Amino acid sequence: MSAARASGERTPAAAPPAGLRQAPSDRFPRVALVGPPNAGKSTLFNRLTGLRQRVANYPGVTVEQRTGTAVLPAGSVEVTDLPGVHGLSPRSMDQRVTRDVLLGRMDGGRAPDAVILVLDATRLESHLMLAEPVLALGLPALVVLTMADELGRRDGALRASALAQELGVTVALVDARNAEALEPVRRFLSALDMGPVSSGDSRACPVAASPLAVHGVPDPAGRSLPVVDLFAGRRQRARAMGESAGFRAPRPSPVTHRLDAVLLHPVLGPLAFLAVVVLVFQSIFAWAVPLMDGTEALVAASGAYLAQVLPEGWFRSLLVDGVWAGVGSVVVFLPQILVLFFFISILEDSGYMARAAVIADRLMHRVGLQGESFLPLLSAYACAVPAVLAARTVGSERDRLATVFVAPFMTCSARLPVYALLIAAFVPAGPLLGPVMGRRSAVLIGLYALGLVVAVVTAAVLKGTLLRDRPTPFVMELPPYRLPTARSIAVRLAERTRVFLRRAGKIILAVAVVLWMLTQVPRVPEGGPPEIGDSALGRIGHVIEPAIEPLGFDWRIGIGLVTSLAAREVIVGTLGTIYGVENAGEESLELQAALQRDLDFGSAVGLLLFFVFALQCMSTVAVVRRETGGWKWPALQFAYMLALAYAGAWTANVLL
Amino acid sequence: MLTDVPLEEEVVLVRIDMAGDDIEPLLERGIVPGCRLCPVHRAPAGTPTVYRVDGALVALRKETASCLCVRSALEAAGVLDPN
Repeated sequence: MSAARASGERTPAAAPPAGLRQAPSDRFPRVALVGPPNAGKSTLFNRLTGLRQRVANYPGVTVEQRTGTAVLPAGSVEVTDLPGVHGLSPRSMDQRVTRDVLLGRMDGGRAPDAVILVLDATRLESHLMLAEPVLALGLPALVVLTMADELGRRDGALRASALAQELGVTVALVDARNAEALEPVRRFLSALDMGPVSSGDSRACPVAASPLAVHGVPDPAGRSLPVVDLFAGRRQRARAMGESAGFRAPRPSPVTHRLDAVLLHPVLGPLAFLAVVVLVFQSIFAWAVPLMDGTEALVAASGAYLAQVLPEGWFRSLLVDGVWAGVGSVVVFLPQILVLFFFISILEDSGYMARAAVIADRLMHRVGLQGESFLPLLSAYACAVPAVLAARTVGSERDRLATVFVAPFMTCSARLPVYALLIAAFVPAGPLLGPVMGRRSAVLIGLYALGLVVAVVTAAVLKGTLLRDRPTPFVMELPPYRLPTARSIAVRLAERTRVFLRRAGKIILAVAVVLWMLTQVPRVPEGGPPEIGDSALGRIGHVIEPAIEPLGFDWRIGIGLVTSLAAREVIVGTLGTIYGVENAGEESLELQAALQRDLDFGSAVGLLLFFVFALQCMSTVAVVRRETGGWKWPALQFAYMLALAYAGAWTANVLL
Repeated sequence: MLTDVPLEEEVVLVRIDMAGDDIEPLLERGIVPGCRLCPVHRAPAGTPTVYRVDGALVALRKETASCLCVRSALEAAGVLDPN
């Protein structure tokens, strides 16, 4: 990375979301990548910018803005990867953002200096339908036709120069995965004026805008024409253009057809789907565990080292007990997130994700969601945080929101230590179904099932009320199968790591510090920290005791509930500290005995139910806020889940 | 109706019986009157069905496909200019 340039540029964008309103850099020309989904836009973007990328949300909306810097011999160019769109009508959030960026209504009112329109050469005619409204904007443009190799392999043909003549702009036929094929793109970028400009200046630009902008296209906004005629006309013109450019459509991909014959087969298809589900589940549960244990050991060891080298005092306590323990409890999830996103990247880049969505669609449609919601919800069994991020693969905004909303009901791995502790304390071991299933594992499976049922019911209710949408036609494209490249997977993982650590880390850091401070005050006369019962946190426990008393919980559990807001499993450690038991772990007999003393059966079941329902996870809240672009959804989600948790625990305490 | 077309039989789209803006997602992908559609795979649950259209594979649910009025491509060849 060219450190000076990249970091110098990053500074203005470091204060999101308001900072995004300013152009990240006024010094460099800005180029927007526009194109339909799966046309190879992001591959091109990654090729051009490498790791010099930033990901942020556009102000007020949840559409991701991916910006990067392409460093060329002549200077740098700011490249924005716009979301994949099929048109510019403001029908969907993605299309609205794309249109607004191109019209200069975003990014501080400055339109990009040029656009690169990325189209799939194998689907030239339907993709050219997007060229019309984009080129009509009159920005200097380059048309990049990707999948050149694919076109040739499948007996398609196209004369790029003839198409360039038709469109009036340069057309480059490339294979975006191939580094040297990017030469025409670099030439286009280099031709942009690199000199400093004052914002708002129109650049003297040697690259041309399409004459389509001058000659005009019959009503690009499409207000006067019936929408069917508008698009039929556009399709007709695209076809005529393709014909003049000697376009011969490629044969359908035989590999894709053969693979689909298996993966969408009535019997083999669901089996393959099941195998993928098991693989993903297994990877996030079993294979990520050594990595998580390693990370945990690393955090613990470095914490212990810090404790050793730092002089005793408040600073050491803050750093080790507060920051290290708090942030460490989140960093531990990073391997799980990376493993999950590794699989998601492979599934998406290979084209299988769309097939999985087709197979799961009927099932998900019954509860009012789309097939695309299946994988995010599945991954929520590991952790709601990556699940909420993975929900981006859901095309419809309302379905994405519903998926994000119900994802935390899935039993995440952070609930497991709590379940394990309470089940061991209150459910006697013993067989239930002979040797197949013990009583304790039956309870555990029951808790998992309960979360799933509530998620499904909630999704159905949401889709019937707040997120009700008109039955819009379900159109999902199945991209041809492709081998994922190590490069694109690596870039994705790096990007996710950065987003996770930066965003969730900030909130966790704050919570950890605040919790630590509350355990430290008021100081005892000798100057040390107070007993936990006398600390500010303990007093808060006493204050909230009346609220949780109907649930059969005392102030100790109350504090556990408060600290578990940072992360669910924290309650185990907190209760351990409060009961003054050494080495409080999941298997600790002393802790179990203490719980048996303080909770009766009803309130223990209540506590379990509380953990099934409540959204005690600041990381999830932080990520939901980020992914929904405001506090409205996380607040509603938190309140709803808390209400369910309270009602559930109260009912259990009263009835049992 | 598109839902009645057996797998691997190519048809030509005649009309979309759907209101207003709802049809834009179809139109933007080149599913406009005159285009050719060919059902190639059906999901195990019977819906959605995957169609080949305009060089792409597109999955449509039964409810959507039932709004698409089509005629056989062979029949249309003599009567109607496909596209």
